[in-house]
Amino acid sequence: MSSLPDWLNDDRDSAKLAAMLDPLSSSTLETLAAEAKALTLRRFGRTMTLYAPLYLSNYCSSGCAYCGFASDRKTPRRRLEPDDIRRELSAMKKLGITDILLLTGERTTAADFDYLQKSVEIAAHEMQRVSVEAFPMSISEYRALADSGCTAITIYQETYNRGRYEALHRWGPKQDFIDRLETPARALEGGIKTVGLGVLLGLSDPKEDALSLYRHVRYLGRTYWRAGLSVSFPRMRPQTGDYEPPFPVDDHSLARMIFAFRIALPDVELVLSTRESAAYRNGMAGLGINRMSIESRTTVGGYHDPEHHEKGQFEVFDDRSIDEFCSAMRAKNIEPVFKNWEPVYNGHVEGNSTILQQEKTEPCL
Amino acid sequence: MDFLQLGSYTFSSRLILGTGKFSNTTVMLEAVKASGAQLVTVALRRFNRDQLADDLFSPLKALPGVTLMPNTSGASTGAEAVRAAHIARELSGSSFIKVEIHPNPQHLMPDPIETYEACRILAREGFLVMPYISADPVLAKRLEEVGCASVMPLGSAIGSGQGLATAEMLNLIIRESNIPVIVDAGLRSPSEAALAMEMGCAAVLVNSAVAVSENPPEMAEAFSEAVAAGRKAFKAGLMPKSSSAIATSPLTAFLGANP
Repeated sequence: MSSLPDWLNDDRDSAKLAAMLDPLSSSTLETLAAEAKALTLRRFGRTMTLYAPLYLSNYCSSGCAYCGFASDRKTPRRRLEPDDIRRELSAMKKLGITDILLLTGERTTAADFDYLQKSVEIAAHEMQRVSVEAFPMSISEYRALADSGCTAITIYQETYNRGRYEALHRWGPKQDFIDRLETPARALEGGIKTVGLGVLLGLSDPKEDALSLYRHVRYLGRTYWRAGLSVSFPRMRPQTGDYEPPFPVDDHSLARMIFAFRIALPDVELVLSTRESAAYRNGMAGLGINRMSIESRTTVGGYHDPEHHEKGQFEVFDDRSIDEFCSAMRAKNIEPVFKNWEPVYNGHVEGNSTILQQEKTEPCL
Repeated sequence: MDFLQLGSYTFSSRLILGTGKFSNTTVMLEAVKASGAQLVTVALRRFNRDQLADDLFSPLKALPGVTLMPNTSGASTGAEAVRAAHIARELSGSSFIKVEIHPNPQHLMPDPIETYEACRILAREGFLVMPYISADPVLAKRLEEVGCASVMPLGSAIGSGQGLATAEMLNLIIRESNIPVIVDAGLRSPSEAALAMEMGCAAVLVNSAVAVSENPPEMAEAFSEAVAAGRKAFKAGLMPKSSSAIATSPLTAFLGANP
């Protein structure tokens, strides 16, 4: 069994975060909220960057105890073909979406790397920014994905507690705790610009997971100094697989965690998805959170034919339309930003690549 | 008249405004108007050709008396910045390009090596190149040599509101420069902008301090007045500063009268 990396136990600068996460700490929730708000305003201004997820496929090869798409579920399986993807993208573009997250299950023959890369190419043709939340890949696969127009990947460790992880991930490639732990670093090695990390809150001790997550972010930031980093706070909701989270995280605890992360990582993007309710997302906008998903469908496709109802990966709690969401943000004096990227900045960067190295015919001054 | 000269362009206002971080486009436009800024910068990544709700470019282009300076914020290499500059010129028709290359998306400090390379190429291609740099006097001269229209050293980290933390280096840059020196980033208050102008900066660029204020148009106007006052003071000449009072019994009295 591979041993744990040193950074996972590196607590040199996590003491302040640990103190803030403690509900008995001297920092009240209100004090933390005020500091988180000031830092968010300073760094991100009065804006909220928006993205929308598109599930490409719900085929899966792993047996995650908590997931509605685990391979033993009776859920009907489907994947979008290139023409389906174009139809979905066209429907999303009509809604104003330019920033998209493509999702699949763990690697299967139905949705393998070639399928994903082709899907990224199609999406990059239509959208301004394409992120991927799929399966762990090799460095060369990430490099190919970056060159196909993928700007960012999201890969949640789910839990950093190895024992809990191995109990929950019962079969399939996702069983490999260490491989998953090393995936964000491989993505950055491959030239993916931004990695998004997170734990699935509810699976294990949230404070312990939050500290490990923080160490992971700090390790990646120190090691890959060009890396864009983001942290999401997905909280277990009733799944299609009827899994009851053993460590439920209540609204106050989640808020405390988000405030503490904003204070500990003032420049890192913090993301809150439609797993949370409209009221909670309205309240958290600008209090640490600077990026949100909108108009989420957690079924395969779902934008082109919104009447087509099937069970998604999880239940969406904030099902407001884009207009309703944007009105709520504007009422809070926050501008919803649909485009905050330019595809010209895509493609993997070789370490320390200056133009001189790329343009060999350039005369040196 | 006392004009800011950048390439063949002249501006009577010495305040340059950034356009990100505002709560909406209307407030941003009001702030630009209130600031009297004639040169504003806008990120290429905030040009939205498909969805006009959050597009910053079109409404700014429609403002009379305002010249646009697209910026390459988001670029992490010189090659990306050069490509972005080409697209920005095509879309905006502006020859100005503010070169911002920050490979670390967390602290957003500018990369001196990539910035130098990009500026060298863009200046040769006829752009009016305005590089955002750390307050490095040597880099500033190197950029002057390759034909930049100005240098834009940071007062402190972008968005930090720490003011003129780099004052000592800024003084060196200003003293040695033959091109306009424009302090960009870190200013929080109009008094800091006035101070930068008193030091001899040709202009200042402000964004967060205005956008994040409770009343952006009022704050924009306050910066405009402070920049004008600072410039006037610089032109009038500040009285010399002395670190100690002049002794009533001169220390050199023992030398007797100077023959």
